[in-house]
Amino acid sequence: MYRLSQTLTDAFSRRFSRTVREDYRQDEAYASTPQGRFWLGLALVGLLLLPLLLPQYPMFVATQILVAALAGLGLHLLVGGAGQISLGQAAFVGIGAYVSSHLSGDLAPLGILLGGLVAGAIGVVLGIPSLRIKGVYLAIATLAFQFLADYVFKRWTEFTGGVAGRKLPAEATFLGLPLADDRVVFYIGLAFAIPMFFYAKRLLSTRAGRAWFAVRDNDLSAQLSGVDLVRSKLTAFALSAFYGGVAGGILMHLLGAVTPDNFVLAFSIQYLAIVIVGGAGTILGAVLGAFFIVLIPELLSVVAGAFGPQYVAQLSAWRSVAFGALILLFLILEPRGLVGLWGRIRDYFRTWPLPY
Amino acid sequence: MAKVLLEAQDLHLSFRGVKALVGISFSVSEGDLFAVIGPNGAGKTSLLNVLSGLYKPQQGRVSFLGEDLAPLSPQERVRRGLGRTFQNLELFRGMTVLDNVKLGAELAVGTYTDLLPKASVEWRIRRHAEEVLDYLHLSPYRHVPAGALPYGLQKRVEVARALAGRPKLLLLDEPMAGLSLEEKQDLARFLLDARREWGVTLVLVEHDLKAVLELSTGVMVMSYGEVLYQGEPAGVREDRRVAEAYLGRSA
Repeated sequence: MYRLSQTLTDAFSRRFSRTVREDYRQDEAYASTPQGRFWLGLALVGLLLLPLLLPQYPMFVATQILVAALAGLGLHLLVGGAGQISLGQAAFVGIGAYVSSHLSGDLAPLGILLGGLVAGAIGVVLGIPSLRIKGVYLAIATLAFQFLADYVFKRWTEFTGGVAGRKLPAEATFLGLPLADDRVVFYIGLAFAIPMFFYAKRLLSTRAGRAWFAVRDNDLSAQLSGVDLVRSKLTAFALSAFYGGVAGGILMHLLGAVTPDNFVLAFSIQYLAIVIVGGAGTILGAVLGAFFIVLIPELLSVVAGAFGPQYVAQLSAWRSVAFGALILLFLILEPRGLVGLWGRIRDYFRTWPLPY
Repeated sequence: MAKVLLEAQDLHLSFRGVKALVGISFSVSEGDLFAVIGPNGAGKTSLLNVLSGLYKPQQGRVSFLGEDLAPLSPQERVRRGLGRTFQNLELFRGMTVLDNVKLGAELAVGTYTDLLPKASVEWRIRRHAEEVLDYLHLSPYRHVPAGALPYGLQKRVEVARALAGRPKLLLLDEPMAGLSLEEKQDLARFLLDARREWGVTLVLVEHDLKAVLELSTGVMVMSYGEVLYQGEPAGVREDRRVAEAYLGRSA
């Protein structure tokens, strides 16, 4: 009996709860251990089933999180990866949204993709100043781009509809399904997001990611290790903008309309907050950061609503305060963001009742 | 007579009034361990920077494998097999040791377009990197961020990164500065092994005269941008001018 239980436990720990990576191949995989694979699979299945479980409004919020995570992930590649700061992510989200607003209905995925590509091409242009300037000066350059984009969104009425923006026809359908239904938009978004997340993960752990991290840590030494600085920086900017553009297309379908005030500076800062709060340069960080940043205003509005309706009006102002405070707090207390926090919690509970 | 790998002819480099290099000429043949020594400010690091393309000399030419290096950017020189390590650590501190070495290994294994990762090539890079890590006894640290390691190990990671690219010629800028005796001995052994095993030609800038004289096959002594002595290591101690530069005139 003892022998049997021993064999079973051994088999269990070898098969299932193994946390040691035994060879290099497991080290290179997405999820290296059976447990890791289990959680990854569970998360994917959960995402697919989510629309069946959640009612209308939470579904809207979930899709918002998806959009924020995707745009945030793009910024992660740029800020956390290549170490180039950008305050213009909202502009790329806007470009994607406006481009895809011209291609809706059955062509919606094509429009979203096209929006991403156009944003990516413009991202390369924004990347050019980064070849000469760094740090704060680059931040100013991207800030200028953000304002320029804002101006174009408001003034180029033929393409963007000006201040009033553009509205999707309410009866638009995708393969017979109504696009006004958030669940349909969620699935379209998921079809983009899942491959793009895996792709980003792959990039960060292969050549492109190494080159970006090298540029971030030490560009002189990167050059003398055979990294092409120009190429690395421009691909980082292009990809970041592409992710932003795709997110914009999904956002446009979610809202059913597109107006310039969805792409102002405050949103660029919000995307930057996702990167910093989540933990720069990690894939999980984009997801956690997006959750946090989207859910905080929801939480705030619930709290404000509980105090009385007169407070709800001031909410948008308080939202910026909350983001600013969060960025500061995380930069000071946990520069590795929520991912770092999660790592610490996990390490604590790994040995929990008997830490010695 | 072994093949000449690197040849410098009459290099002149000055920063405004300061003459860093004055008419330096030398050549390094395949399999050499060529040492450049000299007191502080002699222009040793400037010389390496000219060789690896960070500085442009005002006069003179450098050729590597018979090809003039002047039009080539630093990263093109590295890709042609002219590796380089730095005096003050220039590691990628936020990257793991493994990623540092993998970045170097890409040069040796060949590579792919960076937006289309290829598992098979990545896998070859990994195996190559592991080989180098194993060789330099760095395997236990492969997942540690390079910046978190002690100084001696960081130096070794930098050598590993450069060696992983299988350079034909490696420029080492004071690899032993700041190391303890044991670490120096380890590093010297690693370098000699690499030279024997992979046929890497080494150009070593060093302060430690003893190490240089024991290891090298050829020595160049510099002072104030000029060559004082060039030739067999054994002759260095006998040379009057070298003794003056190092120890003062009365010696």
